[in-house]
Parts: sequence; C-alpha cells; structure tokens
Amino acid sequence: MKSKTDFPNINQKKAEGMSPDGVPFRVLVVDDSMFVTKQITQILNSEGFEVVATACDGGEGVEKYKELYPNLDLVTMDITMPKMDGVTALEKIIEFDADAKVIMISALGKQDLVKKSLLLGAKNYIVKPLDRKKVLERLLMALK
Amino acid sequence: MRVEYINPFVEAAFKIIGQVIDQDATRGKLYLKSVSQPVLGVAVIVGLAGDVEGRVLFDMSEETALAVASAMNGEKLTQMNQLVKETIMELANMITASAVTKLQDLGFSFDLTPPAIFTGVDMEISNNGVEALIVPMEISQGKLEINVAIRERI
Ligand SMILES: [Mg+2]
Repeated sequence: MKSKTDFPNINQKKAEGMSPDGVPFRVLVVDDSMFVTKQITQILNSEGFEVVATACDGGEGVEKYKELYPNLDLVTMDITMPKMDGVTALEKIIEFDADAKVIMISALGKQDLVKKSLLLGAKNYIVKPLDRKKVLERLLMALK
Repeated sequence: MRVEYINPFVEAAFKIIGQVIDQDATRGKLYLKSVSQPVLGVAVIVGLAGDVEGRVLFDMSEETALAVASAMNGEKLTQMNQLVKETIMELANMITASAVTKLQDLGFSFDLTPPAIFTGVDMEISNNGVEALIVPMEISQGKLEINVAIRERI
C-alpha cells in the first residue's frame, strides 16, 4: 500500500533545514544563556535542522567543534560570554578549519565588531533579540 | 555622571522591552541615588569597562521576574529556576548591549561583561561611592528598575 507521503504534495513546503536528500543540517549552538540556546533550538527544529550540541562559553564551543568535526554543518556563536568570548572562539575555529561556517549571534551590533567578525571568517552576523525569519534566512544563506 | 550616558540606556530599554515583552512599557521619572540600596528581590548586574568603569543593575521583584521570563519563553514559569534566571540575565544583556552599541557609535569606548544574578530579600548593593541614576520602567508584568552607575577613568 502506498502511503500519502509517496505522492509529493506541491503545497507542502520542504523543511529548509535539510539537505536536498532529506538529511538535517547539523548545528552547534554556542551561547552562555540557556534562554537563547532554547530559543535558537526551537527555531532550528521547526525547520528541520538538528542541534547536535550546545556550549556555554567560547572555549567549550571550540572544543565541541573539534570533537564533532567534520560531522557538522554550522555554528551559531554568541559574543559576550564568560571565560572565552565569541570572537576569540571564532578565530580558533577558523584556525582549525578554514571552511567552518560560523554565524555570530550577539546583542552587540556595532559596525566595527560586525566587520571584524566577518573579516575573521564569520559567514554572517545576527543582532539579538532574535527574529525567526531573520535567523533562518541568514543561516540558510551561509549554507549555500 | 555625564548625562549623555543615560539616554542610550533609556532608549535601549524601551526598544528591547518593546520587542520581547511589552510594547506599552512606560517610564517613570529618572532619579539619583547616592547611597547603597536595598534591591527588590532579583538583581542582575552587567559590568561596564573601557573609557569608563561602572555597572548597570536591573532590579525587580521575584514575581515580576517570573512574569517577564514567562512572557519571553512563551510558557508559564512559576519557580525561580535556572531558565528563569538565565532569561532575566539575557534581557539585561540585550538592553545593556544595545545601549553600549549606541554609545560606541557616539564615539565612547564601552565594553560589557557577562551578566551576574543575585536573588534574595534584604540584599543591598553598594555603589562604591558612584552616584547611580535610576530609570524606573512600568511594564504589564510589574516594575523594573534600571540603575546605571558610571565613572570615567582618570
Ligand atoms: Mg551572551
């Protein structure tokens, strides 16, 4: 018997957090606030992404990146965090993997800081508070 | 304390609170406090560094903190647990970061530290001799005081 899913429905939008063959993109979320981590995870899950790990400071973020590499598609990186800030963590991740796809997500929005992050290799920059549409748009852009 | 420092905090508070909690927040009259003050029950401190030193203190009752965290998480939270604390800390971080961004754009060199939270009644927080300016905010969840103390480095 054929199930309903065997017939593609043109009205049904494909979840964008997956590759064309239906494998979820794997994301590492680095932020010192459980509130933000939860918020980002909810946004990503709703679009089919998979949050494979979270870290609450820059150092832990770098460590988890190395552990997960190369089975990882994307990193979201906060900036203001205890122990190691997100810009330093970005530098260390790019040093380890020049092709890393890191997106900065910070409440700080100063142009110099955005520029610096992009020069260091960040793929995009999102200013908090988070807007679902904006987050998905910028993350998907980085994956292209 | 220079008056140019305070406006960005007022603007940032309205902007961020409007986006994440309450669009109809209002502000009471600004006032100065020069002595240590008792806090309302939940206090978040964000440190400032750079050309200046100082701190911003976000002060509210536990009831207000629970209502604010519930609104921001889109679920009813009734216990002062880690999620509530980290939600309130992130609110303080967003408001301070937004003000710091504005001040940086105006040419001041400000940086901020990750937030720290203190809870409990009968708590006093010292101003270290720096005069603090209080921005009282009324939101539908209760009263939120933003207490800014900044001193220029000599
Ligand atoms: Mg942070």
